[in-house]
Amino acid sequence: MDFLSNNIYYIGAFGLIFIGLFIILVKHNLIKVIIGISILETGVNLFLIAVGYISKGTAPIFSRPGLNAKNMVDPVPQALVLTAIVIGVAVLALALSLAIRLYKHYGTLDLRKIKEQRW
Amino acid sequence: MRKIIGIILLIIICWGIILALYKIPFGIPKTKVGEYYIDKGREETGAANVVTSVVLNYRGFDTLGEVTVLFIAAIGLGAALATLKKKEKRKIEPSSLILRTGCRFLFPLILLFGAYIFIHGHLTPGGGFQGGAIIASAFILVYLGCRGRRISEVSSKTTESLGGLIFVIIGLVGLAVGGHYFLSNFLPKGELNTLFSAGIIPIIYIAIGFKVGSELAGVIDNLMEES
Amino acid sequence: MNELGLLSNGVNPVLLIVVPLALAFAVPLIGFISKKIIKYIPVLAFLFNLIIAILLIPKVLHQPIIVKIGGFQPPFGINLYVGTVGILFSTLIALAGFLVSIYALNYIKEGPKEKYHILYLLLLTGATGVVLTGDIFNLFVFFEILCISSYALVAYFGNRAGIESSIKYLIQGSVGSSLLLIGIGLLYGQFGTLNMADIANQIQSASSPSIFVPMVLMITGLGVEAAIFPLNAWLPDAHSSAPSSISAILSGIAIEVGLYAVIRVLFTIFGASNFLMFFVFLGVLTLLIGEMSAFSQKNIKRMLAYSSIGQIGLIVFAVSLNTQYGVSAGLFQMISHTLGKGLLFLAAGYMIYRTASMDISSFEGIGKKMPYTSLAFTIGTFSLIGLPPFIGFPSKFMIIKAALAKEGILFTVLVGLVLLGTVIEGAYFFRVVQVIYFKKGNGNQERKEAPITGLIPMFIFALLIIFIGIYPNFIIKILNSAASELLNKIDYIRSVLG
Repeated sequence: MDFLSNNIYYIGAFGLIFIGLFIILVKHNLIKVIIGISILETGVNLFLIAVGYISKGTAPIFSRPGLNAKNMVDPVPQALVLTAIVIGVAVLALALSLAIRLYKHYGTLDLRKIKEQRW
Repeated sequence: MRKIIGIILLIIICWGIILALYKIPFGIPKTKVGEYYIDKGREETGAANVVTSVVLNYRGFDTLGEVTVLFIAAIGLGAALATLKKKEKRKIEPSSLILRTGCRFLFPLILLFGAYIFIHGHLTPGGGFQGGAIIASAFILVYLGCRGRRISEVSSKTTESLGGLIFVIIGLVGLAVGGHYFLSNFLPKGELNTLFSAGIIPIIYIAIGFKVGSELAGVIDNLMEES
Repeated sequence: MNELGLLSNGVNPVLLIVVPLALAFAVPLIGFISKKIIKYIPVLAFLFNLIIAILLIPKVLHQPIIVKIGGFQPPFGINLYVGTVGILFSTLIALAGFLVSIYALNYIKEGPKEKYHILYLLLLTGATGVVLTGDIFNLFVFFEILCISSYALVAYFGNRAGIESSIKYLIQGSVGSSLLLIGIGLLYGQFGTLNMADIANQIQSASSPSIFVPMVLMITGLGVEAAIFPLNAWLPDAHSSAPSSISAILSGIAIEVGLYAVIRVLFTIFGASNFLMFFVFLGVLTLLIGEMSAFSQKNIKRMLAYSSIGQIGLIVFAVSLNTQYGVSAGLFQMISHTLGKGLLFLAAGYMIYRTASMDISSFEGIGKKMPYTSLAFTIGTFSLIGLPPFIGFPSKFMIIKAALAKEGILFTVLVGLVLLGTVIEGAYFFRVVQVIYFKKGNGNQERKEAPITGLIPMFIFALLIIFIGIYPNFIIKILNSAASELLNKIDYIRSVLG
């Protein structure tokens, strides 16, 4: 039980990462694959935040005098996650626009039926 | 078959990552770079929000790249959907009076809130990206509520490019005057925890706020036209 | 005080990244003034980059330049590390970018042209950023710029094949970059820094699992773009369905930059010399698979794309020999591949345009219709096969020599396999050349050459191929310096951290 409460964020983050990877590997519907990519990215972001967390920490903002700098969480992962989220949004938007185009061409989003290109 | 292979692959990755995580116990105190930013960040950049000082000053080059990625997404999305556009006038059912008035009432308030978030990015949680996302949400409301209204493509494109250009130009001015470093914080730092502080940080965040807002609104506009 | 800070201590290398970026942001504004001048902006931007990069070479050979962004000391701020490798690659990127943008002046006629030029500028900006940066997360950001703009450009024509291969590329690429990000997170958690030199300083050996796992994750993530064997399913589709000018850049620059990132991570950050034997085998495997698949292709662009996989295998093989000579041979092969494959894709682009078919058999008799383009194509194929007096000969020769310098029967066998790959390469390229020149085409024999903006870049590529092929010593010194930068981790750390 102690192990669970100590590592709950890691478990959650990697749970999301595995769910995302599993969806990408197994599903055939393009929209589901895109959802999988999105879940994977969320998991990675949660993992990065968890790396910088301190037990009972506060946000690293000196909004009023007298805040204890010792309790503040690491600001770097938060900055990294901001970047990672924006990149995730960019990939998601592009993927959805390509999915729209693909649907107009083939009339389906099933990746098994879309086989113009072959090895 | 594919599922079994997938699960085996994932178990291998999982096992490897658990091994690596032994060295990173959860909830340990900050690491060396983070500690430095918290201790010195206020003096060196003048921003009360340490995350903002990291995002825009210590790691400002990353943020420039990040802005570029969003720009690429907006342009790429436009390119991917460009050849599809047929300007057919679909018959749009007008929305009800209550919905329309509600949207008109809420729209400026949401814009104001977004602007507040990005102007105060160096003092409170928030910043250009968050404020921009809020502004884009105001445009979604208009699209859904007052149907048939569209943002003008020219003005959204102009805002996008100007926002990006201001970021780069401020960086280049820093290269020219501020000790010859790209993106150096050459403006006076001001007093901590006041609106006019932190040098170039609020200016860049305002530029980013406009840029992100117009970009996300443009992306939504493009996608709405297709569906 | 120096009023022109840009010119103090020579030129600041950050301009190599910032100027194309600023121009890309400015393109929509310039488009309001005149739509006609947009297509000249990439030409100008990369001409500028080429001049700056060449001006910086002598200075960098003397001593690497550390550019501190924002004026913060590394590891607290982001720094650019402009060493010989960085400047070598940015010169190559600027050169290829300049020539291909001239080619695109007339080649890109359809579609949203303005967006094409913006994405093209940003693609090469991302590539320059990857090769210059000294910060691992910054590398990730620039890598994403490179990848996302290439996803968008592969889909540029918006036809079935383009969209489908772009989606394939996007899915594999974004899984790869997520893995890369997990690796970066694991490294940050252990060392509390993102600076490459600082991480390298704290890594003693790559054998313990807490270092080995992030290494594997990062190499896998970067390897998707570098197209190392099990991760290259996207490559033939993406390279064959993109516009030809973009295929030239993807094949000549994007894969090379991916490989650079793999090499930098492997050599400088992890210093993983005991895992390199694995990459030697992987390289030979990639080489053979690529060449054999290329042999059975009927579509010219797919054939060139598979040939790129083969060349990547050869480069991986040479670099992972882990000797000074081997690494410089690998870098030489990269230059040779950029020039050769760039030329081939450009020439093939107009041959496809005139015959309206990608089938090799439809090129019958094109040697008479388009003599200059065919000549350029032939020079490219001969160079890639490794015939003298073209650049492919000294580079392949160096690789063979470096491999034979290693003791043991194993390397002799591997050299045999590499030569087998070259023989297969020769077979399929000669088949194309034979179709071009010695098969009678049916129908009219009127000459219809590629336009002059297409011929100029092809001939500059061809001249460079012949010139360096005859005088390889011209760049051997730079290559040696680059190889010692990659192999000498201590110097890298010392010059960044002081």
